[in-house]
Amino acid sequence: MREHFDKTTPPSPEDSAFEFSGNWGAFGKIALTNILLTIVTLGIYRFWATTRERKYLWSETRFIDDRLEWTGTGLELLIGFVLVILLFIIPLFIIQFVQQALLLQGQEGAAAALTFVMLGLIFYLGGLARYRALRYRLARTYWHGIRGGSDDQGFSYGWSYMWKTAIGYMILGLLIPWSMMSLWNERWGRMSFGQHQFSAIGDYADTFKRYLLFYLAPFIFFAGAVIIGIMTAAVDSPAMAGISIILLVLFFYLGLGLIAMTFYAKFYRVAIDGLSLHKLDFGFSAKTKDWFILLLGDAGIWLIAALAVALPAITIIGTSSLLGGFEMPQPGEDPGQLYLALLVPILVFAVIPFMLVGPFIRYRHWRFFITYMQCYGEIDLEELTQSDTSTSKHGEGLLDAFDIGAI
Amino acid sequence: MAQPYTTWFYDGRSAVRRHVVIDTAGGQFHLVESGHLHGPFAFSRLVYSGQQGDAHVYKHDEIDGWRMGLEGDIPVALESVLPSQNRYGSWVDRLGLGRAALVFGLLSAGAMAIILAAPQWLAPLVPTSAEKKLGDALVGDFGGRFCNTEAGQAALAKLSSGLDKDVSDLDIEVANIDMVNAVALPGGKIILFNGLLDNAESADEVAGVLAHEMGHVRKRHVMQSLIRQMGLSVLMGGFDGNIGGTLNGLLSMGYSRSAESEADRHAIQALQRADISPLATAGFFERLANMESMDSVESPQTGDSDQPETEKSSQTGSAASDTESFNEAETLLGYLSSHPLSKSRKTAFEKSHVKDREYTPALTQDEWDALREMCANDADVESGFGFDFGSGDSGNSR
Repeated sequence: MREHFDKTTPPSPEDSAFEFSGNWGAFGKIALTNILLTIVTLGIYRFWATTRERKYLWSETRFIDDRLEWTGTGLELLIGFVLVILLFIIPLFIIQFVQQALLLQGQEGAAAALTFVMLGLIFYLGGLARYRALRYRLARTYWHGIRGGSDDQGFSYGWSYMWKTAIGYMILGLLIPWSMMSLWNERWGRMSFGQHQFSAIGDYADTFKRYLLFYLAPFIFFAGAVIIGIMTAAVDSPAMAGISIILLVLFFYLGLGLIAMTFYAKFYRVAIDGLSLHKLDFGFSAKTKDWFILLLGDAGIWLIAALAVALPAITIIGTSSLLGGFEMPQPGEDPGQLYLALLVPILVFAVIPFMLVGPFIRYRHWRFFITYMQCYGEIDLEELTQSDTSTSKHGEGLLDAFDIGAI
Repeated sequence: MAQPYTTWFYDGRSAVRRHVVIDTAGGQFHLVESGHLHGPFAFSRLVYSGQQGDAHVYKHDEIDGWRMGLEGDIPVALESVLPSQNRYGSWVDRLGLGRAALVFGLLSAGAMAIILAAPQWLAPLVPTSAEKKLGDALVGDFGGRFCNTEAGQAALAKLSSGLDKDVSDLDIEVANIDMVNAVALPGGKIILFNGLLDNAESADEVAGVLAHEMGHVRKRHVMQSLIRQMGLSVLMGGFDGNIGGTLNGLLSMGYSRSAESEADRHAIQALQRADISPLATAGFFERLANMESMDSVESPQTGDSDQPETEKSSQTGSAASDTESFNEAETLLGYLSSHPLSKSRKTAFEKSHVKDREYTPALTQDEWDALREMCANDADVESGFGFDFGSGDSGNSR
């Protein structure tokens, strides 16, 4: 049984090795029931919510002739979370207390040293978390009954992450593309699917021109600002000055963001083009324009959520004299008890639209990646056998704690 | 089984999809693939894995990657021996979505009520010695910033003993830090910052502030908020950072408001007992309120000690609200800010003033001068902070 994909003919969506077939309606039902259960369980259901979301997204993703299957569980995400609380958050709390005490007692040097150690630890764990999240996700992804994973625990990757990132920022940040690509390659190079090891050989040099564009933009911006400043002074018109200031601000916030996006678009194309598994070569075809549309849509979702909260809120404040509840509390009263009953429902109401933002953005991003993922080469199903990598019993707790999103 | 039922199957070792017929025998079954027999497998080992397109997929809990996909109508006889399908998670599936939401909702409301109420009766159970140790560990000698002159300490002792029956368990200090603020810390520690003394117009004003902090100590507010903060962090831990933090902050803020009111009530009573006029404190609050309604960004009282939530402190300093005038919307915001608006606090102190009563000054002019100049006259006191503590808004909010 062999499947063959030719790199020379650009695949149409039907022929592409990857296809996403989910729909908003089915996903929306999952997202809404997730939010309901998350609220009534004070957030504990969130781990099961993540699992249900992923089960849906994976099962609606076809690779060649079969769907992907997500087998992670809510329980293992919860265990990962509890581990992070015990091993990381509580020690951090204690360190903060000690640090505060040192500071209050005038031991600034010791407090600074403690801060340094703490930041170093967070840095290391940040790298470790990225690695282990990828490993966890591959180990829980099945296709044709075969899964991925890695026997490497990622502790040495944590060190690589520290020194490569540090070097990236040295020499005025010029080596950042190198550190990013090198870490991507190192991370993926230690992963496997079935009995095959991934190979990742993306070349940072291919992304460097885009990076220089981003890197030099502020200097060009500065030169432009000087020229506009001189011209404005020459013309001496307040309207002209106003317009040029607006243009400069727009450039700084939007222009720089757009240029950064062109770099990221290129980075993902080069990184994924460099990825292969045995006789399969992967590719990613999203251009800057596609990323722009993706992020514009995300902003739209945020805007809708904000409007959904703001419009009723403005109406309520406008008629708050009718409620009469928000008079100035007097010291004789106990305002805490008085308003708590009112405060909680208002908060819940305000939180729901924002709780919907996350799931829909994750849906769009997953669809985006699957749509633009490509795969060429051939795969022999007779020859592909089960992964013998060990699997951990806990989920991506660290990543969760650091709030890092990976693909 | 009456007629053979065809399904697909992965054995978990190879990626090949096999088309097989299920052959049931009691609690076990074989999968028959054109003459080749897979199994036997026990139905009791199967776990529902989810829906993949049209297929319901089952996995084997001992064989990694083993999958069996059933498409179309599953024969009743087969369905009865298969494990039940899950959807939301086993607890919710058992109860049904509506009932589960109700049950979990009630449990959560109960847990929340307990966590919010418990500190009030838990805090008094914490031994004073333990709280004292916590306070000592935190503050120590405050980096040598406590001011000390004989006359100054005598004045401070007189001021405090007038306001409380027994001050032996309190540890009241003046710190050489230029902030218009005072804090109550664990273990009965009260620290008045020198900036407060500089900005006060009389000893009576300082008496009101000190009595307020004593109120926090006597009502065990510091320990209460410490316990409540920890409880809420655990309870809200399930939500992701932003939402949990916001809810947590808002809930504890409501309680810090009520603690401030309670401390104010304590202060009013203490002033009455000590025969000190509450009008001075009211005047002090009025000045704070004016500072507030000017430009709050640079107002001196906002730069407080920026305590992390664990070492929660309660200050007399004003709310860091940006209100410039009062209307309903801003009163609503005022409620959300961590301290009651100084104007409403001022009114309460004013109201407690008894007309025609002869009040006595808290300190004589000489004593007041000695207290005010204690830091200036102390030759070996350290000053300020080696670190910029930042100008975050009040320590109770985040």
